[in-house]
Amino acid sequence: MHREIENHIEDVLAGSEPQHMSQCEECRTEIRGMREQTALIRELRVPEGFADEPRPGFYARVMERIEAEGPISIWNLFIESAFGRRIAVASLALELLVGVYLVTSERSAEDPTIAAQESQASADQMVVAGEDAPARVLSQVDQSSAGPSSQDAVLADLVTYREQ
Amino acid sequence: MDGSIGILPFPLAGEGTRARTRVDHKNSDEAALVRRVQARDEMAFREIVERHQSKVFSIIYGILRNRNDAEDIAQQVFAKVYFSIKNFDFRSSLLTWIYKITVNECYDYLRKKRVRKLVYESDFSQEDARRMEASEPAVDAAVPADTRLAQRDLILKLLSKVSEEERSLILMKEVEGHSVEELAGMTGLNENTIKVKLFRTRQKLLKAAGRLTRAR
Repeated sequence: MHREIENHIEDVLAGSEPQHMSQCEECRTEIRGMREQTALIRELRVPEGFADEPRPGFYARVMERIEAEGPISIWNLFIESAFGRRIAVASLALELLVGVYLVTSERSAEDPTIAAQESQASADQMVVAGEDAPARVLSQVDQSSAGPSSQDAVLADLVTYREQ
Repeated sequence: MDGSIGILPFPLAGEGTRARTRVDHKNSDEAALVRRVQARDEMAFREIVERHQSKVFSIIYGILRNRNDAEDIAQQVFAKVYFSIKNFDFRSSLLTWIYKITVNECYDYLRKKRVRKLVYESDFSQEDARRMEASEPAVDAAVPADTRLAQRDLILKLLSKVSEEERSLILMKEVEGHSVEELAGMTGLNENTIKVKLFRTRQKLLKAAGRLTRAR
């Protein structure tokens, strides 16, 4: 729409017909659309003669509603809106995942500790045993091909033996 | 208005309208009433409800054309007013602020129902229809009621495509019949800002209508 119409749009919509309108098809079309729309919006006007009031006791009902609703809390945002509910569910799911991860990682962390304690105990035994200790350690290697934790224990024994 | 608009001064650069429409909303009787409500004076709140209940009721009825819903939403509006009035900053008149809350509540209601069309098909009672037929002399009687309802449905849909502020402004202009000058006084904005906002809203509505027509 051209400036000369745009700047006076409210007057034009009220019925004024500036000269530019007779020369400009683009402005004419747009104004026609806006006028139709204005007429439609005016359909939302309350019918003439409409003088209804709310039923008697309106204020009391408003106060009842206020008491029922109570002060607006931040938690209402999570409870009342769908988006808030989704955020709450996602947060709970995340919390659960983190909890499960922490519990499982703690358990796996406990195993090496036990293994280290065991290896310390066997190292002590070797110190007591003296010269034939490497042979015993090697025999342990043969026996303890059962699992990674016992292998770790044997390796720890060997290292400890060299240091001795 | 005559056809001399083309030679009028460029209004956006005009100075005459700017300061004239400033209204001091902080120092009116209404402001004193609002401050009492902000201090949780229930008598003051009652006064606000009684002063504005008819207006709020008729605004809602104008949009929804259903008395029961109008009553229910009017209660909700005043509950919102009660809880939010501590945030009222006196930049606009109280009525303008309540008007915005009212229109927003109507749109919340329509959105919750999701089926705006059904608002008129299921909730629109026969009595409402008769009353509407009988009490709208301004409307072309040759246009059937269902066509008018479809038109109202369309315009409500279009109005949902613009911002809350734009919606309130255009409704205050076209439905309530306020002039640009009055709107400036009510909102605390200057006249040129109001004109620009109204123009942009009208353009958005036209574009939305175009998109809707193409989609059908």
